[in-house]
Amino acid sequence: MSEPLLAIDNLHVRFSRSEDEVYAVNGVSFAIGENETLGIVGESGSGKSVTLMSSIGLLRENGKITAGTAKFRGRDLLRLRPKQLEDIRGRDIGVIFQDPMTSLNPVMRIGDQIMEAMLTHHYAGRKEAFERTLQLLNEMGIPDPKSRFRNYPHEFSGGMRQRIMIAIALACEPQLLIADEPTTALDVTVQMQILALLQELRDRRGMSVVMVTHDFGVATNFCDRIIVMYGGRIMEAARTDRFLRATAHPYSLGLKRSIIEVGHKGKPIVPIPGAARTLTGEPVGCPFAERCSFATERCSAEAPALRAFAEDHEVACHHAEEVVSLAR
Amino acid sequence: MASTVAATQGSVAVRKKNRNRPFVQGWRRFSRNRLAVAGLAWVALFFIAGIIGPWVAPYDYRFGDFLAINQGPSWHHIFGTDNVGHDMFSQILFSIRSALVVAVGATLVSFVIGIVLGLWAGLTGGIADAVIMRGVDFMMTLPGFLFALILVVLLGRGYWSLILAIGIPGWAGYARLIRSLVLGMRNGEMVEAATALGASRAHIARRYMLPNVIGSMAVSLAFGIPGDLAQIAGLSIFGMGLQPPIPSFGNMLAQAGDNILGFPWLLYFPAGIFAITLLSFLFVADGLQEAFHPKGGR
Amino acid sequence: MAVAKFVVKRFVQIVITLILVMTVSYILMYYSPGGFMHTTVMATALAPLQSQNPVLYQQVMDQFQSRYGLNLPLWQQIVKYVWHTLTFDFGNSMQNPSLTIMSQLKQTLPVSALLAFGSVVLSVVVGVPLGITAALKRNTWIDYVVGTVSLAGQAIPSFVLAVLMVLLFGVVFPGILPIAGWGSWKDAVLPVVCLSAANIGVVARYMRGSLIETLRHDYIRTAKAKGVKYWPLILRHGVKNSLTAMITVVGPQFAFTVMGTIWVEQIFGIPGLGKVMQTAFTSFDYPLAITSVFLLGSMIMIMNLLVDILYALIDPRVKL
Repeated sequence: MSEPLLAIDNLHVRFSRSEDEVYAVNGVSFAIGENETLGIVGESGSGKSVTLMSSIGLLRENGKITAGTAKFRGRDLLRLRPKQLEDIRGRDIGVIFQDPMTSLNPVMRIGDQIMEAMLTHHYAGRKEAFERTLQLLNEMGIPDPKSRFRNYPHEFSGGMRQRIMIAIALACEPQLLIADEPTTALDVTVQMQILALLQELRDRRGMSVVMVTHDFGVATNFCDRIIVMYGGRIMEAARTDRFLRATAHPYSLGLKRSIIEVGHKGKPIVPIPGAARTLTGEPVGCPFAERCSFATERCSAEAPALRAFAEDHEVACHHAEEVVSLAR
Repeated sequence: MASTVAATQGSVAVRKKNRNRPFVQGWRRFSRNRLAVAGLAWVALFFIAGIIGPWVAPYDYRFGDFLAINQGPSWHHIFGTDNVGHDMFSQILFSIRSALVVAVGATLVSFVIGIVLGLWAGLTGGIADAVIMRGVDFMMTLPGFLFALILVVLLGRGYWSLILAIGIPGWAGYARLIRSLVLGMRNGEMVEAATALGASRAHIARRYMLPNVIGSMAVSLAFGIPGDLAQIAGLSIFGMGLQPPIPSFGNMLAQAGDNILGFPWLLYFPAGIFAITLLSFLFVADGLQEAFHPKGGR
Repeated sequence: MAVAKFVVKRFVQIVITLILVMTVSYILMYYSPGGFMHTTVMATALAPLQSQNPVLYQQVMDQFQSRYGLNLPLWQQIVKYVWHTLTFDFGNSMQNPSLTIMSQLKQTLPVSALLAFGSVVLSVVVGVPLGITAALKRNTWIDYVVGTVSLAGQAIPSFVLAVLMVLLFGVVFPGILPIAGWGSWKDAVLPVVCLSAANIGVVARYMRGSLIETLRHDYIRTAKAKGVKYWPLILRHGVKNSLTAMITVVGPQFAFTVMGTIWVEQIFGIPGLGKVMQTAFTSFDYPLAITSVFLLGSMIMIMNLLVDILYALIDPRVKL
């Protein structure tokens, strides 16, 4: 791969609560190159959002990054001064968030919110930014951009607001788009529309997208590569097609089995037993061990490292080979 | 850590009920607030002074010693004397009582009227509710003092008249509070959930509704007393409060204004004590509010 | 345009409310022994005049009779009364029967209005930045100081503060600022400050609370993700959204500021509405007293109206 767009290496993030500390991210490394779509899948609490948010400096107040680097085009974002990060955010990296109902400033016209992105980064002058905003609104499929420019967020539906969010994120034509659960808060039909829109934009602009989601189906449909996270660690990382054919991690297998597939009427839905825990201590052993049907004593004692399993396929499991043979 | 299974939850809850956890928690939060505790101490002192004041006062507030007019603070007269020879310390002690009587009385009057109307509005609904709430809105836009002034004109300036004059217009805040508490309890999700779990209605009332209700009402009353205290003082300054020879803070403040150049102690003490008292009540009320409804994260 | 319609609608509401209030209060006074329209009450109030100048006294009593129509049925009296008030025909003062109330009040109303609105402006100008600072420097000593000072300011009624100020600038540091009279702009300084003290506290407190709350919202995160710089973020995204919550609480407070002018004027010797009101009440000049209360009440209602308009202007979600 040529120089990766975003390369995260051995990232560790902790949150301080009043009684204890939560180990949210424990040694995560991955990279995304140009023109790639990466999907990061995991349950709530797996650390997937935290990983990305902390890399661009949007970590919550009580969180701290205890180790690791996050290099964007070779520059470590974690070592930059706030002002430099502010420059990169919005201009080179765009972000769309989960809940469009609360993610837009209610007292600011949506057109101004889109223009703000451009004006802050001196991407364009006032007039040009205005024209571009209208163009963007058009591209996003918002009818009658000229008059809707002056509307406020509460005058739009959820799906429309998400489109506005996307417009804001893409205003300065960033090279990387981070989508944090972009469709979770939307109705199913609207979900499809937004995903289609994102696909279209990706193809047309050739930008890279990192999509964080807990929706396994969405991720595998949309992304070239998949990373599965659990307990603040990467469990498996591979190209999507290979991933689906030769799933090598018990957790990923569980995820695959637990979705309802259209057309396979009799196929039982097999949920993964147990529930994800919040890690409050220095993690020992594989975080998934307690719920894993393949687990052995070794698994609770020794955390499996992320190793190269096959070409462009990494797995963090002692029993990957077993899992793969079952998947077939 | 083993998770508690729902079946044992009931018995655990019964055991803990005896410790009245919401109140203990509330008290702990309150005691952490140093200003509030200090305020509480002063308020207690104030009440004690109000009750035993006239017996403890060194001089009778009604009579002035003509030989000792306009004296500054001294061993005989701790707070000095005024132009008629009244001992300021005794005057202030008695003012505390008069102020307390009116303020607490008025607050109670407002509270009672407020509860009645609030309950009526909340439980009956319909037209009664609409009319009462309109009334509340109106009363809340204009300061009660204006109404009190007019009522004083109608009722006169004795203790009872003042208690009513200040108390009657003050019903609105309490009514609104009670009504929202009543509505909250009738429709609350907590109630639904608890009922679904099989809790008896008395249990619900005691464990969930009571702490909430008592807390809110206590806070409301705690803010009400200093408000009425300020009103009676305000009325007195105007000359529409308790009349001499009954001493009151307002009167002292008004007179002192004229005499200030020559006899500043006539001002220092009443103003100071009044200010401290008012502040103390407010700190206590603020502390109570934080204790029962903590917000503003730490 | 929607704003204009709103203003008119509210104005009409105010007038109707005032009419209702006047009717109710007239009825109340009619049936209570202290009501000013009762001849006995008036006679008592005018007693000094009676002994001094019996002829004038009789004139005043007759005037009084005809003006309020005391021999007419109640409802007619009410109509007469309401009509008089609405047309600003307030009649004559009792202390100086040759003067109309209107002339006495004409001078004083602007003075009080100046004090009240001036104090409101000062409160906002000082309070908002204080609140913002406290919110941004949360849990530091600045925050603590602002909090305590604002609570103290809220606690001490303006008249006590006024008295303390008179003490400070009259006795301790005489000469710096005038404590009485109404001649130059300097005379306005202390009264306005006294009046604002409480409000600065309230404004700062709620601005702080509201801002802290607002900064937790998702759209702040979005703005950060856009790369918006610090101050534009705080002001355009944070403060602008905090204003409505603050105004909701603070708005009604300004009514009390108008009330506060009464005492402050008295203590600083300022010829405003308050001074007139006080003289009226203590000398039992009921017509003057009631009228001044009425005017004060109207000023307050207008103040509330202005707050509502402000509210609607800031938050586009508010339906007029």
